[in-house]
Amino acid sequence: MDEKIYILIVEDELEVMEALIKDLEKFESYFPVETANNVSEATEVIDYIIDHGHKIGLILCDHVLPGKNGVDLLIDMQNRPETMKSKKVLVTGQAGHEDTILAINKADLDHYIAKPWGQEELERVVVNELTDFVIANEKNLLPYMQILDAARLSDALRKNRMTDH
Amino acid sequence: MKVFSKQSVSILLGIIGFMIPFFLNISGLSEAGHVALSIFFIAAIFWMLEPVPIYATSILVILLQVFFLSKQGVLFPEITADYNPNPYTDFIGTLANPIIILFLGGFVLADAAVKYDLDKNLTRLLLKPFGSKPKFIILGLMAVTAVLSAFMSNTATTAMMMTVILPIIAKTDLDDPLRIGLALSIPFAANIGGIATPIGTPPNAVVIGALSTQGINIAFTEWMILAAPLVMLVLIASWLILLWMFKPKSGSLSMDMKGAFQKNSSAILVYFVFGATVLLWITESFHGIGSSIIALIPVAALALTGILDKDGIRQLPWEVLWLVAGGISLGISMESTGLAEWIITSIEWSAFSTLFMIIAFSLVAIVMSNFLSNTVSATLLIPLAVSLAKSGVAGEGFSLILISLVIGVSASMAMMLPISTPPNAIAMSTGTLKTKHMTRAGLVIGLFGLLMVTLYALFYWPLILN
Repeated sequence: MDEKIYILIVEDELEVMEALIKDLEKFESYFPVETANNVSEATEVIDYIIDHGHKIGLILCDHVLPGKNGVDLLIDMQNRPETMKSKKVLVTGQAGHEDTILAINKADLDHYIAKPWGQEELERVVVNELTDFVIANEKNLLPYMQILDAARLSDALRKNRMTDH
Repeated sequence: MKVFSKQSVSILLGIIGFMIPFFLNISGLSEAGHVALSIFFIAAIFWMLEPVPIYATSILVILLQVFFLSKQGVLFPEITADYNPNPYTDFIGTLANPIIILFLGGFVLADAAVKYDLDKNLTRLLLKPFGSKPKFIILGLMAVTAVLSAFMSNTATTAMMMTVILPIIAKTDLDDPLRIGLALSIPFAANIGGIATPIGTPPNAVVIGALSTQGINIAFTEWMILAAPLVMLVLIASWLILLWMFKPKSGSLSMDMKGAFQKNSSAILVYFVFGATVLLWITESFHGIGSSIIALIPVAALALTGILDKDGIRQLPWEVLWLVAGGISLGISMESTGLAEWIITSIEWSAFSTLFMIIAFSLVAIVMSNFLSNTVSATLLIPLAVSLAKSGVAGEGFSLILISLVIGVSASMAMMLPISTPPNAIAMSTGTLKTKHMTRAGLVIGLFGLLMVTLYALFYWPLILN
């Protein structure tokens, strides 16, 4: 069974979701993208992915969602061993100070992207976060050289005590 | 695990291979030789198909030998007419073979160098004189890579050099063949550079370890005198081949490598220990202290000063040491049980000339290493060469050291495929080049290497060895 690293997008507005998916197209063949419209759907998707032996490398999460809000989801993920290491990014225009502080303190938020975002900025954040994720969690970094930050991956390889046999 | 997965089929094949000599009575082969053949079969199959990690197979080899071939084992507690069993310490003792200790010293040094960025800063310093013309930059990169990989692992060196060339590649036009030339120059130079010193790459250890069990000890300097001239020649040829196959379009390249040598006391100690150890290694002929003994100096110095800490010791690549030890161990029993001699005498060698055999061994080593681990290829071929040379059937001019060198050096010349060596895999992973580029350039360099190994084995090595 080949283990995959997923990108999860949680967003309730259809147009925003489509824009995010489009901007993440180039990552799709390395990191399959899954989507959810609200927190309970997201939890189901997360369960499904984990149950099938895969990992969530990165979650891009809106804050204001119908039902439970995004920060709550991120905190839930932080409290769960399988998703603790997932990189957590809040993509929102409406999170107030308190929610943001909560996300940083309780969910170990890795990045905050304010809407509207620029494609380059988004790609940079995704590359950065996923590079961190694979360096920390994956044994074989070579498959990610083409899509992520190759210089940082090479440097991680250099420090990995690699041998020749 | 699926029933017919590659893994389970490989394990099954290995077990069948192990059992064949039990049912087959080979005339002329001692009872112990049959057991050694069993172990050789399972080792060869497991090493080649890798159902378990390479080092695990090595450990299995040592276990099987201790149990079935040693004096303390279950089968041969007494000396028989055709087998004088080795004590089990002979087999497990390979883990403390001088070459293993030499490698340990090399690992510790390389590790400290990486930790304090000595490798990066040396690269920065050494690249400066090569200017900004693409062809000289490639030459500079290859020279620096080769020098570093002679003292560090080829793989770690390649990973480090990738951080140097990736920014250059990123700035180069997509249709400029320079990109491919650059991406290939690093792994090729690392593969070739590893040949230069005993600690450069594990196949060298296999050769030196096998020779040491035959009572032939090769000094650090002696190996360098034998190998380094060949390395320089093949390196320059590879540079020219890469320039010819991938002619750069860009007029000039800028390299802005930032960084400065760390100046804290630990870093300065690391520089000192590194410099002193290498200096002592390459001046062995003056002071006569063996390279394995010197190798303990960095281990002790860096451990005593806390630079090699508990985690550092735990994280050393012990699996390589086990791998090489298992290989040396297998060689011991193949010889003492008469198995190797039996394999050798079953072929009519006297019909072949020395030249033919040099080419044959070199070619087989290169072909095998293109598909298998270089270390495994050397491990499987060396015992044959040892018995061939010792049995005397091969005639004059076929010395033990000579043919071992041919095998060891040739194993490092295999660089046609991404799977041939880890440095190749790293270069491929960047997506800068296609397999066909690597195959073409690797083929030309491999053929040139074969030619050079043959010429050296005929003219240069005998000159030094006699």
